[in-house]
Amino acid sequence: MRLYLTDNMSARRLGRRRFLFFSTIFALTSIATWFMADLLWRGGLSGVELALLGLFVILFAHIAAGFCTALVGLYVINRGGDSSRIINTLPPDEELQLASTAIVMPVFNEDVSRVFEGLRVVYRSVQETKRLEHFDFFVLSDSNQPNQWIQEEVAWLELCKQVGGFGKIFYRKRRHSINKKAGNVADFLRRWGRRYRYMIVLDADSIMTGRALVQLVAMMERNQQVGIIQTAPRIVNGETLFARVQSFASRLYSPLFLAGLNYWQQHEGNYWGHNAVIRVQPFIDHCALPDLPGSEPFGGRILSHDFVEAALMRKAGWSVWLAGDIDGTYEEGPPTLIDSAKRDRRWCQGNMQHAWLLTARGFRAANRFHLLMGVMGYASSPLWLLFMMLCTIHVFAQVTSPMAATAPAEIGVYHLGQSGSGPTALALFVFTMVLLFLPKIVSVIVTIGRPEEAARFGGQGRLLVSALLETLISMLLAPINMMFNSKFVMFTLLGQGVSWVTQRRNTAGDGTDWREGIITHGGQTAFGLVWATCSYIISPLFYAWLSPVVVPLIASIPISILLSKVSLGRATRSLGLFLTPEEAAPPYELKRLQQNLSECYRHLPPIEPLRADYGLMQAVLDPYVNALHVALLRQRKPTEESREWFGQLRERLLRDGPAKFTLKEKMALMMDAESMIALHRDLWSCPAEDLAEWWRLAMRQYNVLTAAPTTALYR
Amino acid sequence: MSELPLDTHEIERFPAAGALSRFRPRTGTMEDWNAAYVRVEDYLRAHRIHNRLHQSRLIEQILERAAQRHEARPLITPTVFAAEETEALMDQWFADMLDERGQPHERIAVDGRLALLLSDGPRRWPYAFLDAGRIPPEFEQAMRAGVIRAGPDMAISSMVPRPIDLGPIPEAAGETMERMERWPILRTLFLWLVFASALAAIFYVTR
Repeated sequence: MRLYLTDNMSARRLGRRRFLFFSTIFALTSIATWFMADLLWRGGLSGVELALLGLFVILFAHIAAGFCTALVGLYVINRGGDSSRIINTLPPDEELQLASTAIVMPVFNEDVSRVFEGLRVVYRSVQETKRLEHFDFFVLSDSNQPNQWIQEEVAWLELCKQVGGFGKIFYRKRRHSINKKAGNVADFLRRWGRRYRYMIVLDADSIMTGRALVQLVAMMERNQQVGIIQTAPRIVNGETLFARVQSFASRLYSPLFLAGLNYWQQHEGNYWGHNAVIRVQPFIDHCALPDLPGSEPFGGRILSHDFVEAALMRKAGWSVWLAGDIDGTYEEGPPTLIDSAKRDRRWCQGNMQHAWLLTARGFRAANRFHLLMGVMGYASSPLWLLFMMLCTIHVFAQVTSPMAATAPAEIGVYHLGQSGSGPTALALFVFTMVLLFLPKIVSVIVTIGRPEEAARFGGQGRLLVSALLETLISMLLAPINMMFNSKFVMFTLLGQGVSWVTQRRNTAGDGTDWREGIITHGGQTAFGLVWATCSYIISPLFYAWLSPVVVPLIASIPISILLSKVSLGRATRSLGLFLTPEEAAPPYELKRLQQNLSECYRHLPPIEPLRADYGLMQAVLDPYVNALHVALLRQRKPTEESREWFGQLRERLLRDGPAKFTLKEKMALMMDAESMIALHRDLWSCPAEDLAEWWRLAMRQYNVLTAAPTTALYR
Repeated sequence: MSELPLDTHEIERFPAAGALSRFRPRTGTMEDWNAAYVRVEDYLRAHRIHNRLHQSRLIEQILERAAQRHEARPLITPTVFAAEETEALMDQWFADMLDERGQPHERIAVDGRLALLLSDGPRRWPYAFLDAGRIPPEFEQAMRAGVIRAGPDMAISSMVPRPIDLGPIPEAAGETMERMERWPILRTLFLWLVFASALAAIFYVTR
């Protein structure tokens, strides 16, 4: 018998837990299917009814899985926590054993101030644990915008100067961004992986406290069979109403789900891509990802690499744990509904690709389940849409049938079956609602039952009001997200690719404007209007049943705009609504981050004519930035042809300015050390009349107002 | 356009003219030398040399040298000579400071500027950069300590993707997909078939 996690849980006990968990899902789905079949079967099953029943089984099982996770979580929490948690392996009073660890942060055109101020906070926090000697920090950049690239270089240098981080904080910019984030991390591992026993992957918006990082590494040291430990990051720093509601919901409801997940998955957990520690050598040995059959978007490179990496680690025999109870791990969420949809667009494609891997040989059953849940996270949306469309068709068929003339009063329940099925339909409806809302209700009751905990959410009354409002908002958002995800799934299936767009994590101005709202949600509004009109014509009572779906669709534009408002986010905060413990009493690291960022953002931006190409301008004009940039570039020996081409580019750049340059040309020049040295020299020695007006302005303006260039971290 | 030599009245129009009171170029126009002056001033400012007195001393020194060279080649604009003299002055100063004499300009300039940036020289020792006099030992020490490492020493690993056996159904589906990708018309026909089937199904169930 193989034992896991310091022998405190046998395979048999784990088997019992899983049997209980999955049997409950099966039982609940079976009961609901019985009710549904009963409703549909009364006059025999037509093709539409059969399709409805099939869809119902899939969708209900998906809901039941979430419900059972929360139910098990409630059971665990009521027992005072799971005895089998990875954090329990840490000795309470001994000094924690650590090993060499790389903290890696892949970035792609992110807000540079946020990235490096975040890194500063993490670095300082580790320093305060007095265990800094075990950690090195890497910023792994794939940024392809000159402004971001130069800002990153300058910010890295400044950060190192300010915290004494030379030799501890490293910066790497890839010349070719192959395979996006997974490729970036793999590139790091190929170059430096052997130097470290562990790596902790952070997102550009991640914050982890030094204590949490030390705990993670110590857990790995303590459990030599563990390959990955994933933490559950709290969503923080939301300012818009949307971000605050998401943050509140995640903070309030996630403990139940995390406890439930850990209960049944144990050492067969999942990896979510960041805020997790990874054992480097087995990751190098087993987690290099091959391409999937076909080409993108459904095949080709694996986009959502994390689930697959967890499955490969498990396949190789290494454990993967969820440490949901580690404090001091944070991330930021998208500020608006549209930003959230953009992120979902990316995730959708990645998760849909996992369908290939569901039957992969050697994968563990638990990993197949994780992959399936990932697929269902997006595939369920078009299935729900199809289910409701079939309901509409079914009701239409009922209304136009001869029976409708004889029993018009019962038409309202026709969409669920034959006449006379009212009580069964109602019971099924209530049953479904219980599964959907009980985890939320239970979470609120559990939290309110602990006054100290409730106080961290703003008090019992405010917590209750916030939860009610959050439920209302989530009901409004559900159909809109369903439409978004249905579209994304369709696009993926039809071969429309997804570009790796940068998520907007900061809100300039006060949220989504009407133009963006109309363009993004216009289709949903039109769809909702047509659907509502049709359903009303078919049956007003059916329209009433359908209104929770169609009304949010019709109102999607104002809903999206209102939720994106920073002013509303602040107003609800001042009322103590949607308050999270991290907002009520921010941890030191988050406070420090906010203070530093507010100082950064106070800095004057470059003057408007220079702003678009400020990075390129600095790299050419500023003697220090130029030297730093050249020093960080790999020297290459160019061919005669390329040398000639670069010569022409340089001449054009100085004569005409950068406005007519393509991004590719700018990046090519900036990657050529010889050109950057020559450009600096030529610019400063060229008579003014031979230079573009843009350069003359740049030279006149540079360092006139400030003694230092306007980049992140110069304060 | 005024011809040189400049008279005292004109010289006083230059900023910090006192420091340049001895500057009397024999060739070139006042506009040309003014442009050269502005260029050197801008470049020193780009190096964060903001002290006007120090700036003026350096500009005078550079322009004097440029003027001497301009006499020999008056067709070339003074700005070019001024820029070259600035570069030469800096190269010499950096080479002496970092003990890099004889190295090519590219290396001296990059190393020197980086060392200056890392030592925070212009802020901490505002009069010392490019000064021919005695350099504070701390500044010299800070300059020589200024090296950056963007990454630690490499320790190369091989991380090669291994194929994942997807199982019989995905393998077959993958092969079909790849075949369809080679024949785009097949994919189009397949999509049309799906669309037509959906229409037919809706037609059937609503009748």
